[in-house]
Amino acid sequence: MQSALDPAGEEASQVATLFWVMTIGGLVIWALVVLLSLYASRWKREPISEQAAARLIPWAGGVLPVTVLTALLAYALWLMPSLRPFADPDRAGLRVEVVGSQFWWHVAYRRPDGTSVISANEIRLPVGERVEFSLTSADMIHSFWIPALGGKMDLIPGRTNRLSLLATKAGTYRGQCAEFCGISHAHMAFPAIAMEPADFEAWLAARSRPSEGLGANQAGRGLFERERCGSCHRVDGTQAQSTAGPDLSHVGSRLTIGAGLLENDVEALERFIVHPASLKHGSRMPAYTHLSADELARIAAWLKGLQ
Amino acid sequence: MSEVASQERDRKAEEEQLRAVWENPSGWRYWTSVNNYQIGLWYGATAFAFMLFAGLLALLVRAQLAVPENDLISADLYNQAYTLHGTVMMFLFAVPIFEAVAIFLLPPMLGAREMPFPRLGAFGFWSFLIGGVFVCGSIFFGAAPSTGWFMYPPLATSEQAGIGADIWLLGLSFIEVASLAAAVELIVGIMKCRAPGMRVNLMPLFAWYLLIVAGMIVFAFPPLIAGDLLFEMQRMFDWPFFDAARGGDPLLWQHLFWIFGHPEVYIIFLPAIALLAMIVPTFAGRPIVGYSWIVLAAVGTGFLSFGLWVHHMFATGLPQISLAFFSAASEAVAIPTAVQIFVFIATMLAGRVIFSTPMLFAMGGIAIFVMGGLTGVMVALAPFDWQAHDTYFIVAHLHYVLIGGMLFPVFAGLYYYYPLIDGKHMSDRVGRFAFWMMFTGFNITFFPMHLAGLRGMPRRVYTYPADIGWDWLNLVSTMGAVVLGIGMFAVVVDVTLHRRNKPRGEQNPWNAGTLEWISEPEENWGVRSIPRIESRYPLWDQKDLARAVRAGEWYLPDASEGRRETLVTSVLDAEPEQVLRVGGTAYVTIVSAALLGTVFVALTFKWWIVSGLAGVAFVAAVLWWLWTGTGEIPEQEEKHIGHGISLPLYASGVKSAGWWAMFITMTGDGTAFASLVFGYFFFWTIHSDFTGGLAGPGAFWPLAALGLFAAGWATTVGARELNRRGAVFAARALLVAGALLSAAGCGAALTGPWASGMDPTAHVYPAIVWILVIWAAVHGAVGIIMQVYCLARSLAGRLTPRHDMDLHNVALYWHFMLVTALVTFGVVGLFPEAL
Amino acid sequence: MWHLLPRQLETLWTLFTAPVVWALHFLICYVGAAIFCEKPGFLGTDFDNLRVAIAVVTALALAMIVMSAMLAWRQWGFGTDDPPHDDPTRRDRTLFQGYATLLLSGLSFVAVIFTALPALFVTECLR
Repeated sequence: MQSALDPAGEEASQVATLFWVMTIGGLVIWALVVLLSLYASRWKREPISEQAAARLIPWAGGVLPVTVLTALLAYALWLMPSLRPFADPDRAGLRVEVVGSQFWWHVAYRRPDGTSVISANEIRLPVGERVEFSLTSADMIHSFWIPALGGKMDLIPGRTNRLSLLATKAGTYRGQCAEFCGISHAHMAFPAIAMEPADFEAWLAARSRPSEGLGANQAGRGLFERERCGSCHRVDGTQAQSTAGPDLSHVGSRLTIGAGLLENDVEALERFIVHPASLKHGSRMPAYTHLSADELARIAAWLKGLQ
Repeated sequence: MSEVASQERDRKAEEEQLRAVWENPSGWRYWTSVNNYQIGLWYGATAFAFMLFAGLLALLVRAQLAVPENDLISADLYNQAYTLHGTVMMFLFAVPIFEAVAIFLLPPMLGAREMPFPRLGAFGFWSFLIGGVFVCGSIFFGAAPSTGWFMYPPLATSEQAGIGADIWLLGLSFIEVASLAAAVELIVGIMKCRAPGMRVNLMPLFAWYLLIVAGMIVFAFPPLIAGDLLFEMQRMFDWPFFDAARGGDPLLWQHLFWIFGHPEVYIIFLPAIALLAMIVPTFAGRPIVGYSWIVLAAVGTGFLSFGLWVHHMFATGLPQISLAFFSAASEAVAIPTAVQIFVFIATMLAGRVIFSTPMLFAMGGIAIFVMGGLTGVMVALAPFDWQAHDTYFIVAHLHYVLIGGMLFPVFAGLYYYYPLIDGKHMSDRVGRFAFWMMFTGFNITFFPMHLAGLRGMPRRVYTYPADIGWDWLNLVSTMGAVVLGIGMFAVVVDVTLHRRNKPRGEQNPWNAGTLEWISEPEENWGVRSIPRIESRYPLWDQKDLARAVRAGEWYLPDASEGRRETLVTSVLDAEPEQVLRVGGTAYVTIVSAALLGTVFVALTFKWWIVSGLAGVAFVAAVLWWLWTGTGEIPEQEEKHIGHGISLPLYASGVKSAGWWAMFITMTGDGTAFASLVFGYFFFWTIHSDFTGGLAGPGAFWPLAALGLFAAGWATTVGARELNRRGAVFAARALLVAGALLSAAGCGAALTGPWASGMDPTAHVYPAIVWILVIWAAVHGAVGIIMQVYCLARSLAGRLTPRHDMDLHNVALYWHFMLVTALVTFGVVGLFPEAL
Repeated sequence: MWHLLPRQLETLWTLFTAPVVWALHFLICYVGAAIFCEKPGFLGTDFDNLRVAIAVVTALALAMIVMSAMLAWRQWGFGTDDPPHDDPTRRDRTLFQGYATLLLSGLSFVAVIFTALPALFVTECLR
């Protein structure tokens, strides 16, 4: 699920091929060098002439590597532009903006028609369509990486980097921050879900409206408002509109919470709310230890209902 | 009474005298020794100890990662442990161990008595020790750096990094200064202090490699020192060099760090290969095949290694065309590396190999290194690196390269050269056991990491979830690490306990051909007399050489004036040029290092006053050192060195070792300056208006400063010329004028940004202008100290028209100062106007 | 044609000629492309011209390396002697220098071509 050797995207599969070609070639070269040195270190062997030995150097140390490396370099250089092609920023098509923060991902889907869907800590993309990512950071350097789909790209404060990915196989893959970004770097992951285009469109359309779960579990919603959760979080269709923390508009439907930390269920939501920093060091969310078990359950139930 | 007997007596007297001159002080004063044997040993032992410490940290890291969701140690401690592991291995072991080996081995290998600047070497060692203990000790206070050994901003510039970041920056800057000192000493030693007749085509390959490596240090370390300066200015005074919100850019640090960081890998690797280039011919029982190819490989690698740095930045979003250039250079560097491997194989094929413990480590190292080299070829390709970058694949790759290319050869070298330390062998049985434990342990540890990385495991995670295919790989790695650790432990036991019950062995136990095997561990003088060299393997080809040298039949067999002396020879053909008197036992080296250490440590804790006072005391100590220990006017012009040759005892200008040292130091200094200028233009390229709409220093004050500094330069050069012609008073007057003009230059330099009210914390433009101007002004101030120093030397009669070494060196400094002024003021004054 | 070459120099520095040419070529290519991509307006040209410029610089660099190689070949006595050049004579020292310089010219030649290859395959800044 997080393996570059089990590719489900165009770049990943091209690179996996490149990897296997190089690995097999490399192993052959390695075996030859080691065998030759083992032979050379045998005492019972007749020494070869100095001229013959001297000829080995230009051939094995010069001509051979130059040939192999030229071929390999040309292959890789030829591959590069096609893997990460130049894309016109004005071109119509889906663009996904990702902003890295310690230690979570803000995600915004910008559709060609100008509408946007805000989400967090989860990436969804349609199979068979090239998706443009635009990547930046709110604090430290992070790196956006879904091994099964393609290579990584850094999120750097003050810069906007671009990455395009083309998923070829539907499925759920794991992505993770690859650049050390602080104490919970290890817990900055996310699920990436490649969906059939029609499913994806339907999913996106549903997310462009407030969740239908807003009306259920009203007690939980009241507590959410009482505890001022909206001063950091956004829930579409409510007063809560801050994006200082992850968007929660449809948090109930996400596969994980805490940026890939826990499976998303009511119990995990409760645990996270009570003491976020003990589950995830460096989390800026305050602990809600003053909430009663009942209150917790109500907030969690409301959030889980935001499908 | 026969003539033979009287000769014998003279010889004995000569030998006693020489021994007395080179003798180490006893008691606690032993530590004031500056002799290359002691410094080399202390240096090596300290570096080795740091390596063991960093190895323990690695075991801690592996223990934490043994099982998923482990809570053996906290995330914070884990981060400190892995950061310190990388930092210590790179800065406190890999580079210093070669400075140690070089300082220990080079004099006897080149047929010299000493390195040209023994006190500088001692100063480097003490700086290294103080800085290293400071950096390592921090983890016991929970204050170690914790943001990775390459300290990327903005994380490392943030509050979260804590004092650890300052400890890293200041502690290591201090050590980098020591490395530069060692580089200066190595270059001058190899170029100018070889035995007569040791032409460049006869130089031991170790010396060739070290010459190239020292040259690389001169160009590679300064960019990091410049980066450290910018970094610390941001941390201490909030100058926004890496703060994107105020026009800075975190990528500038990555550029500066890796311009240092990639050559660094080869700075580590080449000396290790150099050891193999000494070991392999010995055990193949024949001269190396392809001597010139090795020189090609060393020089070629030295150059190409500076064109690789962006391959650490393939995922930072630079244009692909830029990445492609660096992919190309990174592939090209594999060619000279392959050449070196095949030179060794060819040498073995053309000889008959005696298999011994050093050879075992050498061959094991090559097998591991070739694997690391091949994965290096893979990650050099940007598309593959996009996947592999910052994963355990890279962790595996770099350990294959560094352990195969550096640690194993160092152990080979340890087993090979140990008899030169105390005349005894290390244990073969323990050595073989250690090798097999290390070799298997290493592969069990690091081979699975390739797979873990490809399966998506990023580096620097303190824990990982259970169900994504990394569990057993990590468990295997941890078990391997324990085996590797046992192997290392066996070597430690061997080193510390082996002395017991062993007789002194033969002088040249491996029957090696190179000159260092002539030096007896019991003596401090390196070589009893300095021979004329006629072969690459003099001990094989020059029959009777060892005996003649030891009998004192060759050059400079005595120390009749009671001074430590060695020969200076010409660069290409090693024709004798001068007898160089080198410094002896001294406190001033320890005192200077301690004072400079105090400056850096006090800065870490922001004790400004302590730091300032220590800084002044340091300058005073260095001046005292120079005043008492250098440029001394000899009691006689020439000295007879035997075989009818008389050489001068004093040389100035390009013929003197001091001039070369100044030239090399200033080349490094100029590289640091160039890195700052690079920063200026870097900010220009990334912004549409890099001034951020703020006022610049204008053209007037910068050009005034330039004019004044140019006058300071002209007066210094004029003073040198007049002094040489005997117009001593006119020369002194010019020096006074020069100092005043330069002082005015410093004032004008700082007035420019000051008068325009440039606030360095507001935006990166004023910050980079200020840093350039301050750089120039500080160099101007040092120039003034030098002018005044020469004036004082002249007044004290220590600088005369004939003995004018100091003035030559100061004029050379001012040549560099002139270039610094031209570039600084041209750039800050004219470039914004030209746009 | 050999008399057209400059006179032989007695210095260690000639060894570094070809690698220095490589370094300059590399810097020009990298800096040129970096400025072109970061400040598209500044150089006032399009990518194809950049590629042409790289081609020209490459040709110049290769010519200089060939020149250095010819000088080295002459210093090596036009290959009349075989290595190892380990006699303690000025002549062997010179031959060694010539041979090592020639080898370095070869490596630099390949490295310059490697550096120029990207311009053949990459047709945009692509970032």
